[in-house]
Amino acid sequence: MKEFFHRKIERNAIGFVVAIVAVASIGGFMEIAPLFTIQETVEEVPDMRTYTPLELAGRNIYIREGCYACHSQMIRTLRDEVERYGPYSLAVESKYDHPMLWGSKRTGPDLARIGEKYSDAWHVAHLINPRDVVPESVMPKYGWLMRNELRIEDLGEHLAAQQTVGVPYTQAMVENAVQDARGQASPDSNAAAGVAERYGEATHVRAFDGDPSRLTEMDALVAYLQILGKLTDKAYQQAATAEAE
Amino acid sequence: MVSQLTTSERQYALVTLLLLGLGGLAMAAMGRGDPIAVHGYIVLLFAIGLSFVVMAGYYAPEPDKDRLSRYYDDPTRVGIVLSIAWAVVGMFVGVWVAALLAWPDLTFDQAWASFGRLRPVHTSGVIFGFGGNALIATSFHVLQRTTRARLPGQFAPWFVLLGYNLFCVVAASGYLIGVTQSKEYAEPEWYADIWLVLVWVTYFLIYLRTLARRKEPHIYVANWYYMAFILVVAMLHIVNNIAVPISWSSAKSYSVYSGVQDAMVQWWYGHNAVAFFLTAGFLGMMYYYLPKRAGRPIFSYRLSIISFWGITFFYMWAGSHHLHYTALPQWVQTLGMTFSIMLLVPSWASAGNALATLNGAWHKVRDDATLRFMMVAAVFYGLSTFEGSFMAIRPVNSLSHYTDWTVGHVHAGALGWVAMITFGSIYALVPWMWKREAMYSSRLIEVHFWLALSGTIVYVFAMWNSGIIQGLMWRTYNESGSLTYSFIDSLVAMHPYYIARAFGGLLFLLGAIVAAYNVWMTIRQSKLEAAQGKEDADIPLFARDAVQAGE
Amino acid sequence: MELEKRDRVTGRTTTGHEWNGIEELETPIPRVVFFFLGATVLFSLICWVLYPTWPLGSTFTKGVTGFDQRNLVTEQVAKADAERASAWAGKVETMSFAEIEADPALMQPVKEAGRTLFVDNCAVCHGVSATGGPGFPNLTSKSWLWGGEPEAIEETIKVGINSTNDDTRVSQMMAFGRDGVLAPEQISNVVTYVRSLSGAEGDAAKIEAGKEVFAANCVACHGDNAKGSHDVGAPDLTDHFWIYGGDVNSVYTSVYSGRQGHMPHWDARLSPLQVKLLTVYVHTLDGAPQ
Ligand code: HEC
Ligand code: HEC
Ligand code: HEC
Ligand code: HEM
Ligand code: HEM
Ligand SMILES: [Ca+2]
Ligand SMILES: [Ca+2]
Ligand SMILES: [Cu+2]
Repeated sequence: MKEFFHRKIERNAIGFVVAIVAVASIGGFMEIAPLFTIQETVEEVPDMRTYTPLELAGRNIYIREGCYACHSQMIRTLRDEVERYGPYSLAVESKYDHPMLWGSKRTGPDLARIGEKYSDAWHVAHLINPRDVVPESVMPKYGWLMRNELRIEDLGEHLAAQQTVGVPYTQAMVENAVQDARGQASPDSNAAAGVAERYGEATHVRAFDGDPSRLTEMDALVAYLQILGKLTDKAYQQAATAEAE
Repeated sequence: MVSQLTTSERQYALVTLLLLGLGGLAMAAMGRGDPIAVHGYIVLLFAIGLSFVVMAGYYAPEPDKDRLSRYYDDPTRVGIVLSIAWAVVGMFVGVWVAALLAWPDLTFDQAWASFGRLRPVHTSGVIFGFGGNALIATSFHVLQRTTRARLPGQFAPWFVLLGYNLFCVVAASGYLIGVTQSKEYAEPEWYADIWLVLVWVTYFLIYLRTLARRKEPHIYVANWYYMAFILVVAMLHIVNNIAVPISWSSAKSYSVYSGVQDAMVQWWYGHNAVAFFLTAGFLGMMYYYLPKRAGRPIFSYRLSIISFWGITFFYMWAGSHHLHYTALPQWVQTLGMTFSIMLLVPSWASAGNALATLNGAWHKVRDDATLRFMMVAAVFYGLSTFEGSFMAIRPVNSLSHYTDWTVGHVHAGALGWVAMITFGSIYALVPWMWKREAMYSSRLIEVHFWLALSGTIVYVFAMWNSGIIQGLMWRTYNESGSLTYSFIDSLVAMHPYYIARAFGGLLFLLGAIVAAYNVWMTIRQSKLEAAQGKEDADIPLFARDAVQAGE
Repeated sequence: MELEKRDRVTGRTTTGHEWNGIEELETPIPRVVFFFLGATVLFSLICWVLYPTWPLGSTFTKGVTGFDQRNLVTEQVAKADAERASAWAGKVETMSFAEIEADPALMQPVKEAGRTLFVDNCAVCHGVSATGGPGFPNLTSKSWLWGGEPEAIEETIKVGINSTNDDTRVSQMMAFGRDGVLAPEQISNVVTYVRSLSGAEGDAAKIEAGKEVFAANCVACHGDNAKGSHDVGAPDLTDHFWIYGGDVNSVYTSVYSGRQGHMPHWDARLSPLQVKLLTVYVHTLDGAPQ
């Protein structure tokens, strides 16, 4: 009977195509669609903030350089990872990550909670030549980050596209994107105040690459690294409540 | 080759190239200062270069009607050559990337040569460049032979093959200049993604139209797999790559998905790219060239049916095994784990079906390195699917994930299965395509076989060792209950294995270079002898008549 | 309708079709395939019953065990904490530094835990064997910026130096050249003098002149005899240990442009116990490579 049926379908190209598409669609549909409908998939967190334009630019450099090929940003729910890297990652922490950068290989350590772990100066030295500070390292040198001026004129377009895909940037953020990127890396400039105003007092406003007069790709990347794991405090709060219990 | 096109096909080609060139020009002009402009120039050059080729042959006489009684194999020939070229390039970059992890300063301070930019050149180069071209080339060949129908037109196959290679070039060059979406195995940016959709839809239509013209009542198993490969890859590609460009004149786009949903979509794509690109497509290849070379019937038709539908159904659920213990809800992980386990049955059924087909031909396996390539491929296919199902079990994955064990598994599949079945099939196909009795040198095939096998074994064992050591070091606790090793300790422990892996990869690369030489010499000989007027005299079976069996 | 054909090797019939010479045998599916299919399906069914699995619109089946990876890891970490506490860590928390260091049995786990913590968190700056590097002090030198008592070390680790912590230790080496406090000649002299304190050769006249510059400008922080000050985190300039290097250029840069090292604070990232373990670990480093 089954044989017979298959013999039939083997003789009908269109039927075969339809059958393949039908059989192959079920799995993905069952696994992906509910992630949008089940509320608890992504935690509700009031203090979750978006990336500033500078941090977003840094994130794009992280993508461009392929750092995700060696670094994960996802602390799994395993004892050793929690003890080594900090509280396990929550879904909400990458809620505004288009695309996510969880990674699949740890040639280098996890970076999900690297924010504020080390100093800006260390990151700069490390990115220029990792082996200057960590002789054992196999990470590439990224000296050009310090040489390249950061491209910022299109940051407004970046934020607008992010808005389109659902990141809650305000119109003011989009309009001031270029200025905010400058301001965040030159703390004494006039532009600096607007950053804290739009993105919150806790935003890091510093000369990330050590030179407030130039806005380099290094500024952006370090600003991004320093915010990793810091967009919301939820994971640490959860860990603290668990400990209290 | 242009001389085989009809005048109207030559005109199609020129119009298409004109449109493509204009597209490239627009990208170059609008994207000033943006990397998209570089891609504009590449597209423009590509279009101009091909236009010259078409123009050069434009006034050649039209092909005779006689051609319709033969199969159309020109795209297959070119596809084979492109596939081998990409193999050498992709694997060379693989060896380089491997060496970077042992000697990190081999980047010479060049941005384009840093690990993160070269790695996707390797993965795309071998999977899409080498594997994809081999799949397109063989699928056109197999499709015609098993349907006894000629491809429906002569322009569309070229559009698919060359358009696809344009995609590969744009992809690989993009990574070097920093254009990437970072979605693993789907890194190319939005405009390359859209272009691939056009190419792929054409590919599908060619397949469907040829099947519609077939003179065999039943569709052969190889075509089931090739069709599943084309269809599902289209589904995956389109869904995974939906993104919003920041403007029409910028290379940059943002994926519509984010966070946990994006993770699931990406690994639904990523895992099934393995399933339908690296598995289904190559199973299609195996289902033709292995029985053909062995001269044996397929062991069991019924086993083919359950393996095919089992693979098609189960695979699509398994992607979440890439996300065990992450912020992906656990229910999806359970689904991914259990379907991966069930998936082992149809996978082994396919491997078993292939090996049992060799019953009665084992003496050929012993003597014929070409067939031995295919046999070993089936064995590695069985091995890597077993390993994959094992690694999909949550507690096992807690150890293997993020480590070199995954890389070892990948290359057991990629070197042992994908590359071996491809080389075996190419060695079988090249003499048929260039009207030779055999490859230029069977000794060199033998040499290649042993280089490939030993390279694979060195590579895979090195990575199993390093991966398991790495995973264990990360989670080892000493008696006092604190972590014994730091991350840097594990990094230092990897060094010897990274050297071993680079060496194993080098062996494999040398094998590929030997193959390139052997194919090249076979082609040259074919031309030489054609020039000497010996054409076809003692060469068996080039299908003069499309209804003839034999290739 | 199709002719029955038989394969000579196996004696089985073929399906009767042939594609360019390829045929297929009608071999029945081996039993073992069904057996394994059954086994894997059974395994899956058991998993589906036990664990969260099937999506149901806005919720999902929770599984009869109520198992949840997040709860599990939280429990495991808590349990491990408790086990360590009762085995040895509890003592570390309550005992004084002197008592801990006097207890060899206790020092064993403290050093083990301390080393991994140190290499995972501190080694990128201070080096795997804590010997420092350009810009990052050697912690085995016994030449302390803020004092070598465990309490001082513990405080430094907790609040950091020039860090983002509210209670951070603050220190700064002024930029005497850039800010125009000293003339280049004066700087050059004081550099020669400072280097001579640790035995470097130098022009006697310059040293004399430098000594005066030093007395006028530097003693406030580095002390009368240049032995440094733990109150402002100013380094001892008479020993052989340099944070930024003791060659002329480095010392000149230190004086000309000033320095402000940044040591992160760890009270948010590490627990008080972990900070204490690190304190003991750092305090008992003996200077020999690890
Ligand atoms: C070839 C693999 C590789 C690439 C590519 C790579 N890294 Fe690394 N990274 C490492 C390794 C190995 C380490 C650990 C040794 C060290 O600290 O340098 C590391 C360490 C780090 C650390 C310190 C983490 C810690 O907790 O100590 C940071 C931050 C970092 N990398 C950022 C980056 C960024 C940003 C990029 C891309 C611009 C990048 N890495 C690219 C391999 C890599
Ligand atoms: C980002 C780099 C960095 C990291 C990571 C770091 N330190 Fe430091 N540390 C420094 C710098 C820089 C100084 C010196 C500050 C100065 O120059 O004033 C310092 C100073 C110290 C001191 C004071 C030395 C003295 O002489 O008084 C101690 C103790 C110390 N670090 C311990 C640690 C421990 C323990 C850790 C890990 C938990 C750690 N450090 C991680 C950069 C770092
Ligand atoms: C305001 C207090 C202060 C004054 C005044 C001061 N120093 Fe310093 N000095 C420091 C501090 C604090 C450091 C450590 C900075 C660090 O590590 O980031 C330091 C570091 C140095 C170093 C680098 C030591 C090393 O290990 O690399 C040198 C050299 C030095 N001082 C010389 C001088 C000289 C010469 C003068 C006078 C011209 C002077 N200092 C005046 C506070 C001071
Ligand atoms: C000459 C032989 C080869 C060498 C030396 C080589 C080397 C490498 C290296 C060093 C990596 C990076 C691993 C890491 O990040 O730690 C890699 C990744 C990869 N390679 Fe290869 N490779 C070779 C051949 C191939 C072939 C033939 C294929 C496919 C057909 C392939 C597919 C892949 C894939 C899919 C990855 C990504 C793995 C992952 O993300 O986990 N490789 N290879
Ligand atoms: C039954 C079949 C298979 C199963 C169940 C399976 C399962 C897995 C699992 C569990 C992982 C590790 C995911 C992680 O921890 O990150 C993985 C990775 C991978 N597998 Fe397989 N595998 C199978 C067959 C194959 C085959 C035949 C290939 C062919 C080349 C292959 C290629 C890959 C690749 C490229 C990756 C790396 C993905 C990445 O992280 O970039 N797999 N597979
Ligand atoms: Ca990967
Ligand atoms: Ca893409
Ligand atoms: Cu997978």
